[in-house]
Amino acid sequence: MRWAWRLLRREWRQQLLVLALIAVAVAATTVGVGVSANTPLSPYVGFGTAKDLATFPGVSTAEMAAVSKWHHLYGPVDLIKNETVTIPGSINAFDLRAQNPRGPYGQPLLALVSGHYPVSTREVAVTSGVATSLNLKVGSIWREGGVARRVVGVVENPQNLLDQFALVIPGQVRKPNQVTVLFDAPGVAPGKLGANVVTPGLVAQSNPLNPETISIALATLAMLLIALVAVAGFTVLAQRRLRSIGMLGAIGATDKNIKMVVRANGAMAGVVGALLGLVVGFAAWMAYRPSLEASAHHVIGVFHLPWVVIAVAMVLAVIAAYFAATRPAKAVTRISVVAALSGRPAPPKKIRRTVVPGVVFVVVAFFLLGAAGASGGKGGGIPELMLGFVALTVAVVLLAPFLLTMLSRLTRRGPLAVRMATRDLARYRARSGSALGAISIGVFIAVVVMVASAARFGNVLDYAGPNVAPTQLIIYTPIGPYGPGPGNAGVAPPTFNLKLMDSGAHSIAKALGSHDIIQLDTTSATLQHAAPGRSYAGPLYVATPQLLKAFGIKASSLSPTADILSMRPGFSSLTKMQLVYGNYFANGNHSQGNQFACPKSDCLANPKIQEVTELPSGTSAPNTVITEYAVHQLALKTLVSGWLVQTNHPLSALQLNDARITAATSDLSIETKSSIPTSASIIDWATLVGILLALGILAMSIGLIRSEAAGDLRILTAAGASSFMRRNLTAVTAGALALIGAVVGTVAGYIAMIAFSRTSSLDGLSSLSSVPVANLLIILVAMPVGATVGGWLLAGREPAAFAHQPIE
Amino acid sequence: MSFLEMRAVSKVYGEGPTEVHAITDIDLSVARGALVAVMGPSGSGKSTLLTIAGSLEEPTSGEVTIDGAALSAMSRNDKARLRRRTVGYVFQDFNLLAGLTAVENVTLPLELDGVATRKAHTAGMAALEELGLAERATRFPDELSGGERQRVAIARAVVGNRQLLLADEPSGALDSVNGEAVMRMILAACHQGVAAIVITHDAKLASWADRVVFLRDGRVVDKTMPPPSPESLLDPSSPSQ
Repeated sequence: MRWAWRLLRREWRQQLLVLALIAVAVAATTVGVGVSANTPLSPYVGFGTAKDLATFPGVSTAEMAAVSKWHHLYGPVDLIKNETVTIPGSINAFDLRAQNPRGPYGQPLLALVSGHYPVSTREVAVTSGVATSLNLKVGSIWREGGVARRVVGVVENPQNLLDQFALVIPGQVRKPNQVTVLFDAPGVAPGKLGANVVTPGLVAQSNPLNPETISIALATLAMLLIALVAVAGFTVLAQRRLRSIGMLGAIGATDKNIKMVVRANGAMAGVVGALLGLVVGFAAWMAYRPSLEASAHHVIGVFHLPWVVIAVAMVLAVIAAYFAATRPAKAVTRISVVAALSGRPAPPKKIRRTVVPGVVFVVVAFFLLGAAGASGGKGGGIPELMLGFVALTVAVVLLAPFLLTMLSRLTRRGPLAVRMATRDLARYRARSGSALGAISIGVFIAVVVMVASAARFGNVLDYAGPNVAPTQLIIYTPIGPYGPGPGNAGVAPPTFNLKLMDSGAHSIAKALGSHDIIQLDTTSATLQHAAPGRSYAGPLYVATPQLLKAFGIKASSLSPTADILSMRPGFSSLTKMQLVYGNYFANGNHSQGNQFACPKSDCLANPKIQEVTELPSGTSAPNTVITEYAVHQLALKTLVSGWLVQTNHPLSALQLNDARITAATSDLSIETKSSIPTSASIIDWATLVGILLALGILAMSIGLIRSEAAGDLRILTAAGASSFMRRNLTAVTAGALALIGAVVGTVAGYIAMIAFSRTSSLDGLSSLSSVPVANLLIILVAMPVGATVGGWLLAGREPAAFAHQPIE
Repeated sequence: MSFLEMRAVSKVYGEGPTEVHAITDIDLSVARGALVAVMGPSGSGKSTLLTIAGSLEEPTSGEVTIDGAALSAMSRNDKARLRRRTVGYVFQDFNLLAGLTAVENVTLPLELDGVATRKAHTAGMAALEELGLAERATRFPDELSGGERQRVAIARAVVGNRQLLLADEPSGALDSVNGEAVMRMILAACHQGVAAIVITHDAKLASWADRVVFLRDGRVVDKTMPPPSPESLLDPSSPSQ
């Protein structure tokens, strides 16, 4: 152990790569879990100081009896009643909340920012968000539900600053739609108290994908990658220390002693790296915490970190380093003492490794991911999904050395540099195999994200992605974006004052400096896909001449008998489409299994769909419209459901707030760009991160692999090789590893997606027809080319000494 | 005219207190077809002499010319070309590339020089055949015996009509039979006009040379041509010491 410690202390430079990797991983885990655990609201937030929480949808005699019973059996109860109040002109809402600020359990859920808590029926305290939305301040009068109340204070929920409410005294919420009861029933299982009773422990268990679980999964994956790279690091280190190890053997150390030295060295590197990572991570956490508090909307303590997760990550780091050193430890004991003393590594052992275990893991992964796909739509399948990914990762690691051997065979007649580089890769599989595994896993993760995003965003039926552009605003009438819908037969609500709303919409457009305002008409019609899986989603506006003109679509370019126009690529080739309208659903036409009724009275089977690329692509924008031809043919009534306003510049938050206030006065609501990223941005980011991860691992590994073959460079130089040849060798090594890593990662990614999709009831195999070609080409072509060029530019240095081998 | 000419060549490693004078004011010339043996104790500068002669290292001072061309005037690429076409190395520990077969090791300088793989292969096979190793051509180095490996190394050093053969204890890792066989091959190359320098500790093998140069502490302490007898070189009472 002492010798191992000295090895680490004296040779820390050689172990810098492994130490840095472990330290960075642990530091990233510390900050990552801190952020992920503190950003979302804690599942325990609603409990206050109570151990039990019951929720009721309203107030009934039976529920009140239960509350009385708990009060009688377990002591005080804290009752919090909420009634949802919509903010005029917005789809957002807040709670009118009746709560005792000095209640036995709910006190942590309330804090006074200014003023005082309400003490009479005519007083109210509001959160700052409600105050802003309703333009209130302390001293203002707020009228709601026919009751005028004076605002006497500004309050907040310290555990959830996003919780927007108006606080009144208990008994002032007459029609609550949610009642929360906080109480303590020690030693009683929540199930015995009622189905609606939960405890903090139960809440935590019900969420299998809580931040801690995700963090541990990510930390495990990171440590696996580190272990793969560390194997190469420890192998080279053991090789460099061959003479010292030979000396140990010469003075009587057993194989067990030598193995222990190398393993202990690995474990110590893990411990030092983990501690270093913890210190760095904690410092980074302290620096970032104030920013996180601002963005997470709640107070976060300095030590409020998931310490168990961090401890697990640190233990994983030590285990990863220990196991990474195990194989090199075994390898050095196979070398004779004399060979070790003279610094001659043993020739690589001929391994006839079978590919069977790797193939078995691929098959297992395929079935596990298939099972995950089959149950994915029902909310389950998470364990199968995770196990499937783990199995596929193991398969990649097991198959990597075999692929290197195959590559070596394939290039046996290639140019000298190619031949030598690929043979070295195959010969030194202990290093290159691990590196290839790590690169492949990096690419694999990126490809899964890319393909899954492309599949989901490429679904023409359930169109996903960003809604309107930053320069667009949609103003809705009370009918909303989806129109009255089949069953309502196109009847407007009695309070529908189109003149007032039209005036309000034009006022908003004018205030935004826009003359580009398009009326959006809807009918009772919508589309439906008469098959299992995803169905049509999105509004179906009418293709009025004004709408077509606004997007530069000429009537002459349209088929006169087209029923539907859509910009969704591939929409026209869909089969089993139905245009349903009128009283379709009211008449009981619901799907039964795979059967979708299509009575002629309110359903048009296989409507004629024409693709028109000029239509806007936003999910809420008129990307799919029904033609006036179809409206006349089906005798549909049209109703104004909104207006699309387009401006020359992105809309500011102030403009949007003003628009919302104006909309509220005219019984309208608005929709603006959402924060959902585009498919392109997700795929681009996945590509970039995957490439950077793969190239990072490659850069770390390539030096180790080539340093192993440093002796060969000496021979090559003596035989007349120029720096060009030496550069070529490194370039081919880097390029070959990057290429195989890219291919293996991509194939593994598609295997995972095919396995999952083939059984998925929502997205079948056809969803994979959206292939992110450009990004895949970047990974499969640009990344290997980049690695080759990078390797060529960074290599070429002449060996330091010829007459004598350098003494370390 | 000498094929290899070394004039007042010195090599110093390190600086200040760590300064080591590996060789000092060495003058040596080797004519075409001549075999020069270099002897001396460990650390006497034999290997440094050879690496400077083969352009692998630059002397601190002095001049080296090969076939009339001064090495100091050559670029790194020129020197690499010289090693590919003119100079052949044989090391004590064979120094074959483990990832290449015997014939691929032999053809290495030719392939590096841009000779077509097929043509290089033919030349390599011819060289191996000459050394009786044609049947072992597709074997990897770790499948060959020590003697076979050294023969492959010699084949690599002479393939492509190289004119200067530099061998650093080529028989050091071999038994006496194989050692002699290797020396015989080097001598055969010399008979075909190749200039050769062989470092050896074996006085008997050195006696095969046209001339023996004895180094001590980086300086030439004796040049014998031809050696009266191998044993006399090692006799401290000899007048030549």
